[in-house]
Amino acid sequence: MQLPVLNDAPAAKSGCSASSCGTTDNQMDSLPDSIREKVQNHPCYSEDAHHYFARMHVAVAPACNIQCHYCNRKYDCANESRPGVVSELLTPDQAVKKTMAVAANIPQMTVLGIAGPGDPLANPERTFETFRRLSEEAPDIKLCVSTNGLALPDAVEELSKHNIDHVTITINCVDPEIGAKIYPWIFWKNKRIKGKKGAKILIEQQQKGLEMLIAKGILVKVNSVMIPGVNDQHLAEVSKVVKSKGAFLHNVMPLIAEAEHGTFYGVMGQRGPTPDELQDLQDSCSGDMNMMRHCRQCRADAVGMLGEDRGDEFTLDKIEDMEIDYQAAMEKRKVIHQAIQEEMDSKRLEKSAKAAQHKAEPKLATRPVLMAVATSGQGVINVHFGHAKEFLIYEASPDGVRFISHRKADQYCGGDTSCGDGESVLQVTVRALAGCEAVLCSKVGYEPWEMLETAGIMPNGEHAMEPIEEAVMAVYKEMAAAGKLDTTPEAARASA
Amino acid sequence: MAVKIIESCVNCFACEPVCPSNAIYEAKPHFLVDPKKCTECEGDFPDFQCASICPIEGAILNSLGEAINPPGSLTGIPPEKMAEAMAELQSH
Ligand code: SF4
Ligand code: SF4
Ligand code: SF4
Repeated sequence: MQLPVLNDAPAAKSGCSASSCGTTDNQMDSLPDSIREKVQNHPCYSEDAHHYFARMHVAVAPACNIQCHYCNRKYDCANESRPGVVSELLTPDQAVKKTMAVAANIPQMTVLGIAGPGDPLANPERTFETFRRLSEEAPDIKLCVSTNGLALPDAVEELSKHNIDHVTITINCVDPEIGAKIYPWIFWKNKRIKGKKGAKILIEQQQKGLEMLIAKGILVKVNSVMIPGVNDQHLAEVSKVVKSKGAFLHNVMPLIAEAEHGTFYGVMGQRGPTPDELQDLQDSCSGDMNMMRHCRQCRADAVGMLGEDRGDEFTLDKIEDMEIDYQAAMEKRKVIHQAIQEEMDSKRLEKSAKAAQHKAEPKLATRPVLMAVATSGQGVINVHFGHAKEFLIYEASPDGVRFISHRKADQYCGGDTSCGDGESVLQVTVRALAGCEAVLCSKVGYEPWEMLETAGIMPNGEHAMEPIEEAVMAVYKEMAAAGKLDTTPEAARASA
Repeated sequence: MAVKIIESCVNCFACEPVCPSNAIYEAKPHFLVDPKKCTECEGDFPDFQCASICPIEGAILNSLGEAINPPGSLTGIPPEKMAEAMAELQSH
């Protein structure tokens, strides 16, 4: 099955590409029905669904068959988790039990993924045993798997037998020269193969696996890690290749490299991209389609809504004691999913009506503005500034409101109460919002209010419990009316 | 003649299924090689299979007690660079 390419030509940076005015998750409308149906309730793919539905990962796959320069195998697979994270390894039996316990207790959980802590397909027995049992015992859960691609061609047949609705392949390059700078070795046919030769085999396997999955009608998402100076220029080419072969989504993630992770890039001082560089590349790779910008690089044992982790509620000793009646749970889940679906449908309608209305109004000629939003889900502004662990960054422009990315409140610090030169958590949070001109939350305290203002970020607590896009647009219009948007955008972009 | 897994092993399971002699087993605090079973892959493969997939430098020793994958051989990080970075981190 060949899928249409969503966006051959990168959309002009701030322009408006034919179908994508107003709120841009209407982009999903350009997907064929069969695929839209599959992704629209998927928390990792659909921008509005990720406010409602939850996902979980189980860590059943410890081994890996390659080495990536951004990974230290003391920790989880860095393609799927933030570096430096260690998950509790489960047996397939424990994984099945945990999945059913979570599904019964968090009915919004619709997707179970295996993403590590190594490469799932380098552990075929553990991975497939988990999938086989879940397909039988919990048929209302969608399954997904992520892989570096080396063992993918041999796994396609088996994957197609289970409830797998999509596969994620991490593809960082299609050129072995570049590959040799990312992958020092692979384990292939009983040998460790280093350098360009190894990278070439890996690339061939990834591409072959991608083609085979598409031929079987399995959805494929491609992830790439953006490594400045190594593959940043090359990723537009990667994007073109994988989309022309039928990948429905190409998601670019930033390299995270710290010396303390003990990775090659970390120790050698390879830097990650700035938020600006990442955004530029995401724009040129995905055009205006931004469904995946909310990817949080969650850990291999994450549980809950994107950005939250309720794994602690489901540790092994806790699930041991839980009695799960899955038949009853499935009934309950069905009712809840239907209610969520109705709410999402009506919000979607409302949104497109708003977008149409917005289109009909005289168009502003003002510059785009980045705003940060504090939310815990449901698509509304509902978190106190001081309680926000992360912010959603939106861009408002005369074309409408679009979701750009997530920023962790403590992104630039190790999560301690103070960082480096005695910076307070508050200072770090304010710094994480650099480039934004407003922050919308349910409430802001006095001290942060002052600091935000000094930093040129307008705090705003007037839109509590309002839908995000509407509130962002309202603030944008206020700013326009107050004449704040007549200055050049450079000043704002430069510091983002 | 047998190889040996030492404490720097991170329990990633990678070596266990690739051993042609079923000599490797999960143990606490880390994986171990049964010296009676290990054949050093003689007759099966030219390279030690366990040491060809193991991602951790120094985790597997040959019968002379030497690291089969010495520092820098897998990650490409020059050992002095690694030492420098670690010293830098400790000083904080
Ligand atoms: S595929 Fe994942 S686990 Fe394997 S080396 Fe790369 S980042 Fe690490
Ligand atoms: S050297 Fe070969 S036989 Fe011995 S433990 Fe390693 S893989 Fe097994
Ligand atoms: S491959 Fe190396 S690190 Fe992994 S379990 Fe075996 S000896 Fe330990």
